[in-house]
Amino acid sequence: MMKKYFAIIVLAVAVLFTTACKDFLVEEPILSQSTSLTLSDFNGLNKAVAGAYSPLADGQWYGAMMVLESEMRAGNAMRPINSDFTSGRMMVPYDMSYNESSTSGLWGYAYYVISAVNNVLDVIEKGEVELVKDGVTQQDVDNLQAEALALRALAHFDCLRTYARTDGSNDRLGIPLILTPQSPDDQPARNTVTEVLNQVVADLTKAESLMSSSYVRAGGVSSKCYITVDVVRALLARVYLYKKDYSNAAAYATKVIDSGNYKLWTAKEYPTVWNKDAADKGGEVIFEVYGATSNSYDEYWEGPSHMTNPIGYGDCAASFDLMDLFEDGDVRGSKGIRGTDEGKVMFCTDPDEKSLGQMWTMKYQGKGKGDAVSTPDVSNVIVIRLSEMYLIRAEASANGAGNTAVSDLNAIRSNRGASLLSSAGSAAVALERRLELNFEGHTWFDLARTTATLNYSDGVVTRNLTSSSKEWALPIPKRETDVNENLEQNPGF
Amino acid sequence: MKKIRLLMAAVALVLSVGIASAQNVQVRGTVTDASTGEPVPFASIQVKGTMQGTATDALGSYAISVPGNGVLVFSSIGYTTLEVAVNNRGQINVSLEPETEFLDDVIVVGYGTVRREAKTGSIATLEAENLAEAPVNSVDKMLAGKMAGVMVTSQTGQPGANSNIRIRGISSVNAGNEPLWVVDGIPVMSGDQGYFTNTSNAMAVVNPNDIESITVLKDAAAASIYGSRAANGVILVTTKSGSQGKAKFQVRAKYGISQLANDNNFRVLTGSELIGLRRQAAMNAGMNPDNPTSAGYYPLSRLTGPQTNWLKEVTKLGNMQEYEINASAGNDRGKLYSSLSYQNTEGITYASQFNKIVGRVNTDYKLTNSLTFGARVNMAYTYNRDTEMQALYYANPFFAGLSILPWTPLYDEYGNYNVNIPENSNTNPMYNMLSGGEVQWEKQFRNQASVYLEWQPVTGLVFKTNNMLETTNGEGRRYWGPDPGYTEGTLQVSTSQYIRMTTSNTATYNTTFGDAHSFRAMIGQEAMKETYHSYFSYSPTVDDAIPYPTTSIATDDKIDYSYSAETLLSFFGNVDYSYDQRYYLQGSVRADGSSLFGSANRWGLFWSASGSWNISNEAFMSGIDWLSLLKLRASYGVNGNNNIAAYRAYGVYASTAYNGASGMLPSDPDNPNLSWEKNYTWNVGLDFAFFDSRINGQVDVYSRDTKDMLLNKSVPQTSGFSSNFVNIGALNNKGVEFQLNGDIIRTKDFNWNVGFNLAYNKSTILDLGDTDELNNADSRIKHKVGKSFYTYYLKDYYGVNPSTGQALWRAADPADPDNEDAFILTSNYNKARYIYAGSPEPKFTGGFNTSLSWKGFDLSAFFEYKLGNNVLIVENRYVNSDGNQNMNQTYRALNYWKEPGDTGVFPKPYIGNSSNSYAMPSTRWMERGDYLRVKDVTLSYTFPTRIIEKIKLGGLKLYVSGLNLYTFHDVNWFDPERGVNGMGSGIYPMTKTLVGGVEVSF
Repeated sequence: MMKKYFAIIVLAVAVLFTTACKDFLVEEPILSQSTSLTLSDFNGLNKAVAGAYSPLADGQWYGAMMVLESEMRAGNAMRPINSDFTSGRMMVPYDMSYNESSTSGLWGYAYYVISAVNNVLDVIEKGEVELVKDGVTQQDVDNLQAEALALRALAHFDCLRTYARTDGSNDRLGIPLILTPQSPDDQPARNTVTEVLNQVVADLTKAESLMSSSYVRAGGVSSKCYITVDVVRALLARVYLYKKDYSNAAAYATKVIDSGNYKLWTAKEYPTVWNKDAADKGGEVIFEVYGATSNSYDEYWEGPSHMTNPIGYGDCAASFDLMDLFEDGDVRGSKGIRGTDEGKVMFCTDPDEKSLGQMWTMKYQGKGKGDAVSTPDVSNVIVIRLSEMYLIRAEASANGAGNTAVSDLNAIRSNRGASLLSSAGSAAVALERRLELNFEGHTWFDLARTTATLNYSDGVVTRNLTSSSKEWALPIPKRETDVNENLEQNPGF
Repeated sequence: MKKIRLLMAAVALVLSVGIASAQNVQVRGTVTDASTGEPVPFASIQVKGTMQGTATDALGSYAISVPGNGVLVFSSIGYTTLEVAVNNRGQINVSLEPETEFLDDVIVVGYGTVRREAKTGSIATLEAENLAEAPVNSVDKMLAGKMAGVMVTSQTGQPGANSNIRIRGISSVNAGNEPLWVVDGIPVMSGDQGYFTNTSNAMAVVNPNDIESITVLKDAAAASIYGSRAANGVILVTTKSGSQGKAKFQVRAKYGISQLANDNNFRVLTGSELIGLRRQAAMNAGMNPDNPTSAGYYPLSRLTGPQTNWLKEVTKLGNMQEYEINASAGNDRGKLYSSLSYQNTEGITYASQFNKIVGRVNTDYKLTNSLTFGARVNMAYTYNRDTEMQALYYANPFFAGLSILPWTPLYDEYGNYNVNIPENSNTNPMYNMLSGGEVQWEKQFRNQASVYLEWQPVTGLVFKTNNMLETTNGEGRRYWGPDPGYTEGTLQVSTSQYIRMTTSNTATYNTTFGDAHSFRAMIGQEAMKETYHSYFSYSPTVDDAIPYPTTSIATDDKIDYSYSAETLLSFFGNVDYSYDQRYYLQGSVRADGSSLFGSANRWGLFWSASGSWNISNEAFMSGIDWLSLLKLRASYGVNGNNNIAAYRAYGVYASTAYNGASGMLPSDPDNPNLSWEKNYTWNVGLDFAFFDSRINGQVDVYSRDTKDMLLNKSVPQTSGFSSNFVNIGALNNKGVEFQLNGDIIRTKDFNWNVGFNLAYNKSTILDLGDTDELNNADSRIKHKVGKSFYTYYLKDYYGVNPSTGQALWRAADPADPDNEDAFILTSNYNKARYIYAGSPEPKFTGGFNTSLSWKGFDLSAFFEYKLGNNVLIVENRYVNSDGNQNMNQTYRALNYWKEPGDTGVFPKPYIGNSSNSYAMPSTRWMERGDYLRVKDVTLSYTFPTRIIEKIKLGGLKLYVSGLNLYTFHDVNWFDPERGVNGMGSGIYPMTKTLVGGVEVSF
């Protein structure tokens, strides 16, 4: 009797000991996906690249501040004179009071994208996972790799422009190049500007060679919000311009212009396109970042639509300095009243006209999905459009590569209701860029890479930057220098 | 695994030795307690002069073969040893006389029991009789101040709320600080399981009257057998078993009323007081209070309409009622205890209610002479209703009751609740609570059921398997009715389920050998799996006439789901050895494997070693009659804290959306090294008793080092992540505990005893990894290296400038900025310096009690205190706003600066005050939180037997009891108890309750 019980218990205990131990203690999360599973097949990698776009819409990046803060610094934007229209935002870029605790937060999002695509590139480059099967072709894998490389290039490039000086002294400190998956313990040092730009070019060039000319990611609302081979070429044109490699800049601009896929907006179209998704905008847009409250990254009240709306936060008004640049008849400087003249003009004052003549850009007038009271409106943010390609080629020409400067500028001006030029040097190109691309996040970086001087005054603030001013490279966030002892802070911060 | 097999082999060997001896006359019988007639389980029966022996089973029965002329020695912990000659009898029933001295009490410890005298670790106990008739909803409330080093703090006075229990301080930033609760041998779920309601205490499932005893394991020696979950101490709850003999019934009923505890007469202003203040504030701001266009328009005509005391309107008398019947029965084979109770508590505001129905069945049945089967089944239904009263919500009736202006009418012109209350965002808490403006509740169905099988093949060897299934099914609802004039409401509903399954299997061997050697060994295995899931739906457009998701517009609805699972597998063992009741040694070891941790660190090993020396049993002490006990104890051990969310070790991708399409983004880095927090504790204690143990007590000194503390470490964002959850950081708690009890008078009719306990604890953060300061969830609290765990970080308020009435703060002295003692005064809040202002952790906690009994009357009183802590009353800044807030203000606001020379007053008030004088953070709102509370006073009368017998009853007792009768404190608020962090983010105030009851048994 006793022995029988004893045997049963010993047996039962033995079974428990030997069987349960191993699997019993493994509880995997079911509402998220393990890293290894995500990266285990083509579909997982494809989803990981789709996901890597989302931080582009963050408020520190194209979702608002990379654009709006740079416009504020450049003097295209200002805080409204009448404080009824301010919410207390945008003080730091307006006052140029950047410090290591109060600086652009783009850093983290850029590297978030970089590490997200590095996970994918690592799998593809190592080749240990068999991806070409079940209907997936080598071209599909190449397209995915190209898309990931282009995202990595864009993230490195934008991060570089923000935290480093790209004024041609290219042995300056750049940013860390991150090309492989990192461990949280890694503490990478900064590469030079040249090294970063060379890698950006290498990534984009490889992407151009891998990507099928017909490739566009499926599933999105707007195809203009994904990387295509045209986007890669347009980015290359821009990056070569930053590298002052004018012949390549002109060559890639020409490739895009001659692709026949894009057409300049006419003066009549110009004010009507800004409240539309890219698919409906026609013409010019090569790549833009999709705006929607359904995006995982969405700045909501602090998005550009609300920040440039006098009925919204309104902290980003157009500077008087900018408004003075437009000649009569130039649709790019057309003025009206918010609530009445949407789709007709490019700058509006507030409906009650209490703003002391202050204007706000209509480039982020929103897609009509909000009312500025209960829900902010959202806008797509254009990253690259065709007129920039003409402007790049014109600048290259003004710097000795080709002779199209006048015709390129006039191609734009004739479609904007502006008078035609008879000659065009670097100054004319710079002015045209400001007239055409204001509030699209270019002017500050153009100043940084060309003259590196800025003289701005609007009666409230005065900004006089010389080529030795520290502000051209924003400070790296303190939280980052605190945890990475190899990371050198920018001089002066 | 190898070790376990070795241990099993050792047990088998011991077992075969036991089986080897058996012959002669077969004797059977039962061993009962001479005073109660209840069976004595596990009493030892030895054949005198031999190694041969047995023990009674759980029901007090035994069987043994002995020589017909032999002598049986019956002994059991807590009883006088009895020798009985066999004389060839086949049946010998004996009654053992209990030893009355407290030294021989048996106390429940981890996986067994121990004589109080034999304990080596730091243990505190509470017997059922001390749990008294206190009008509380759950057992945790009964522990406050009762045991040295066990600090029980309430965050809120809301019915059904859970408490925060801190045993010997605070050990963790991220891994939880609550002790492990073990009910009838199985670790159970505890804490807050509510969804919408502010608090929903899992321990409310246990009816306090069903509890036989509570043991708190405080040091590593006592708690380490619970391994990875023992870092914050262990609370063992043992419920009642049936008693042998004919069925006994007990019926209890009680009814009580409660009210806001406000012993310092904290109040807000009347209309006329407030209008005076506002008019002065307007004039101070250069405004004309009688000019209708002025922002400072406060005409005296405000007083001509009806005035409302809002605090009075939103509060009421609460009440509680409780009815219970329990039955207990047993015979020589089986025992049964069963109870059914109903309790309903209505709070001191409307829409605050907690009720529960709890049923319990505890059975033990002897299947054969060596096999016993039993079950512990507890079922409960709880209903918890409240309103959104966390923090300073407009819907919070207590804050609205303070802040709404006295001339704002309660009702509008049509007799409906007025919802035009701009100073409270047009929220009328009475409309919310009583007219369907807001309804939120949680219903829970809770089940704790365990079955055990115990096999005692030979004397001293017991195999036991104990298996529990524990479930909580919850349903929650939060409904915001439409604003007046609209028809659509917003509905949120939840269903949630917790399931925990545990199997606990042990083998225990007890023996004595030689004259004085006693040995006990236990090995065991335990496995636990817990899953949680919940569904939540949000319907913003339901029809108010049919307020269910069916009437909402489907495209507006949102639904969400959450799930987590956790497993734990453990092997453990301990060994006790004692020699001659003088030397005691104990060791324990436990290996825990947990699914919560990284694949590289899934298993942890925890252990303790302890010893004690009973000096008073030494020969050289034998002449000292007045000394009953002098015992020195020492222990050291390590235990763990695994109280973190599931899946933190996994590198995962989470879904993300862009451009109308979904993708995946990394959300957490792979973390294979994630492991337990470890606590290393030493404890030295002295137990003493004098004068026939009439005075007894204990002193303990301890130090507990928490190491490998789990913290979010900032990492370079170039890795793609901002932080990683890693084992860094260290923290120390050290303290002294003292407990003293005395039977001052002990006579037949008159008894008086007193007890006192005091605990000192100090926490110090030693290391926080790559930083020396971490932010608490509340920005006004920091965790800083070198300081107490919780340290307030506040602007340094100085007081009022006596010549201008402006608020002044201390600012760093520009000439000597690093010197904390040097400062300049500033009226600019932005320039004020921050200081580490103090800690909400009490230096001293404890209580004292006294009990007087005379014949059938019994008067007991219990006091609880906390000393040396600070509280930060956030609410006070709004209701003492120096003119800034258009809200009612407290009586203190009248004591403001009026003329040059005034000091010790509030700043000069003015409308539109922008000086930040009332701002938070500021030391202005920090106060000493010391208090002494008359926690519980109970007067009872037990009818004498001669009357009882006449009316054919078994017993009759009447009592009245008061809870929180009076609190001595200096805090400018209703009550000083504000939760562990001293801030009281849920501010349902404490209540005082007076209850009367009757207990009848038959």
